[in-house]
Amino acid sequence: MSSLRFEYVDTVGFNADQGGRGFHLPTGMAIRGDGRIFVVSRSNTVALEIVGIQMVSANHDFFGQIGSRGSDEGQMIGPTALALDSDDSLYLTDDVLQRVTVYDREGETVSSWGTHGSGDGEIDGPSGIVFDEDGHLFLVDHRNHRVQKFTKDGVFLGKWGTFGDGDGEFNLPWGIARDKDGTLCVADWRNDRIQRFSPDGEFMAEYCSSGDGEGELHRPADVAIDSEGNICVADWGNQRVQVLDPDGNFITKLRGQATLSLWSKEYLDSQADENEARAVFEPYFEVDTDDPSEISARIEPYFWDPVTVALDSDDRMYVLETCRHRFQIYRRGAD
Amino acid sequence: MATLTKSSQDVVLVAHLLRRAGFGATPKELDHALDIGYEATLDTLLNPLGTDLIPEDLIRRYHVDQSDLRLQPAASAHWMYRLVNTESPLREKMCLFWHRVFATAANKLIQGRVVLNQIDMFREYGMGRFDELLLQLSRDPAMLMWLDNQDNHKHSINENYGREILELFAMGVGNYTEDDIKECARAFTGWSVVNPDYMSIKMRNNTARPYGYISWQFEYDDDDHDHGDKTLLGVTGDLNGEDAVDIICRQDATAKFIARHLYHFFVADEPPVPQWPHTPPRDPEAIEMMTDAYFDSGYSIKEMLRVMFTSDFFASEDVRFARIKSPAEMVVGTMRLAGGLDVPSYDAYAASATCANMGQYLLNPPSVEGWQGGIEWINTGAYVQRVNFASMVFNDPSKPGIRDIIERIRGYAADDFLSPEEFVDHCLDILGPIDTLESTRDGIIEYAAKYGDIGFADDESTSNAERAILAVIQLIVSTQEYQMV
Repeated sequence: MSSLRFEYVDTVGFNADQGGRGFHLPTGMAIRGDGRIFVVSRSNTVALEIVGIQMVSANHDFFGQIGSRGSDEGQMIGPTALALDSDDSLYLTDDVLQRVTVYDREGETVSSWGTHGSGDGEIDGPSGIVFDEDGHLFLVDHRNHRVQKFTKDGVFLGKWGTFGDGDGEFNLPWGIARDKDGTLCVADWRNDRIQRFSPDGEFMAEYCSSGDGEGELHRPADVAIDSEGNICVADWGNQRVQVLDPDGNFITKLRGQATLSLWSKEYLDSQADENEARAVFEPYFEVDTDDPSEISARIEPYFWDPVTVALDSDDRMYVLETCRHRFQIYRRGAD
Repeated sequence: MATLTKSSQDVVLVAHLLRRAGFGATPKELDHALDIGYEATLDTLLNPLGTDLIPEDLIRRYHVDQSDLRLQPAASAHWMYRLVNTESPLREKMCLFWHRVFATAANKLIQGRVVLNQIDMFREYGMGRFDELLLQLSRDPAMLMWLDNQDNHKHSINENYGREILELFAMGVGNYTEDDIKECARAFTGWSVVNPDYMSIKMRNNTARPYGYISWQFEYDDDDHDHGDKTLLGVTGDLNGEDAVDIICRQDATAKFIARHLYHFFVADEPPVPQWPHTPPRDPEAIEMMTDAYFDSGYSIKEMLRVMFTSDFFASEDVRFARIKSPAEMVVGTMRLAGGLDVPSYDAYAASATCANMGQYLLNPPSVEGWQGGIEWINTGAYVQRVNFASMVFNDPSKPGIRDIIERIRGYAADDFLSPEEFVDHCLDILGPIDTLESTRDGIIEYAAKYGDIGFADDESTSNAERAILAVIQLIVSTQEYQMV
């Protein structure tokens, strides 16, 4: 069994429901080669200004926002996931507007494509997205319970999957990742498992089953695959991250251990009464519930709706949490 | 003088039960209830099986604001999903009942989630023993923060919770003294939440920064509890909160107070609660019967409900269709009739917003006294809201509940045609049955006559029939009679 461990590094984020630096109810994330991090905030029915893609770095730089709420070109209403192509263009899926929007390296809108439906090339609930080495993209078409392959411009190339719980079938899949050999792992959300496919969509393996034990999943939202083929899973319903080896065996799990981000510290420094009360605040305590979501609502450092896992070029793992408006960073620990 | 249309007695009583102990019935639900009879229907209502499984995962995936549940619109919409889709309507009705009696508002607490957690507690304990419910309430973080019990300390008491548990939650004015309030408050010293200082500041500053809010958890601090002797309602000792609840629940006044609330909510309007000490109950015998059930059953709310729902005073013609539907009853009942709520849908948000516009903002009652209800539910603006909402809900023939109504009318027509009179009477039966004034019925028939006789012989007549059904249903749900329960 692998002895792979992860060490907590830092937390980036802040609840920006009133604007400014930070995120609000984010759902997707992508990391560019130069370290720029894109996070998309879905937000709620009230804080509408923050709906968009925030650009930040792991060092707490805030570079501004791409896009806004709306249905015009470049806008979004139900942003779901982000991915970057080899040219550093940014692709956003929107499961309300039923489309993929493309932004260039500077954040300017290039185009959008997508037709709502269930036919070949039509989509119903675009979710996870990933590119292959040819620059084609695999799109999780979640309410059609399938994965579709497109050119960057949205020309249909292929598809696989139907509703069900058998091999190669899906129940509302969400995230998708590709390893260095080109195989694809899909978070088969409502089947509580990860499925692996060949680049042509041939079923290869399934990992995990329903539950809250080690190697068990509850509504996995996303996957990421590191340089050694280990699979990091956002075990959304269990409010944790699990790491599996390339054969799908359990290696380790993380519950989260966020600390105050730089933006959070600066905020508290400006609020004397909150800062004073925070000084005697005990973030960890024994809870009297076994509901993972409620536990996460009470224990601030824990992951709360870990929705995306992303890896940078050093295999550092970034875990984006919808309900805490932040991401936590972990690095490989010593063996 | 206007006369009422007639229905069979069984249908009338079962439909009355399903309206009062739930949110009305779809035609299918009414058929089933009539098949099994009144008593078995009541048993099912009083003994719901397990928990309602609403698709929490789907709701949280699509409506991310219903995952953190911070804001009231999201939290209210979340409850709306359950209210509209529940298979245990009396249990949800009891959640509304306790929400009204133990009114706790999210606007002060800045997070909808803790109020929703309180509703979850009502769902679990609301039909059980009153002493257990009152103890849970006294430990409920939303209630503790709502009434500032985190500031109720051993050496510096805050009387808010001690006062309200006696005055508004369990006994009513006139059944305790000012000294009892102080002693009761002392009994609840040290009953607080984890991290009270930081939680209080976040609440007071109305901030969800830096990382969203933190859901509260009950914590008892024995070092902050006053262990001195206290005398509450004649009982002396080193009383703690559990003792206070026990003493309160033994009181005859408590049984009568809860009985009157139940009567007020389920049977017939009573005057506003502040008038209760000076105005006798509308039906003292009914209150006595329910009080007896309270003590005979060991404080069981369920047994009080059983006595009430099987009584002559509940079945009396005088009380049927004699109360104005609360906004929640109107909105939830209408949506259930039309066929529930899908996920994802913004209809849940629209429904809770409509409720608020009609005067009942779920999870945000106007004060600790809750909503008075009765005739206060209706004013011109609220009535227009009701009519517009019902018309909007019954505007989509693809909704399953509406399809069912159409198919039933088709069944009545068979291969023949229905006259406007027959057609309207069938619609009134299917939607309730609703008793209308003859003048109301005449008006609807006159309107229905524009569509001619109703039949389904070919595409053209079917299309006309479907248009007529939608139009007539929209008119019926706009009537004064539909606002009554």
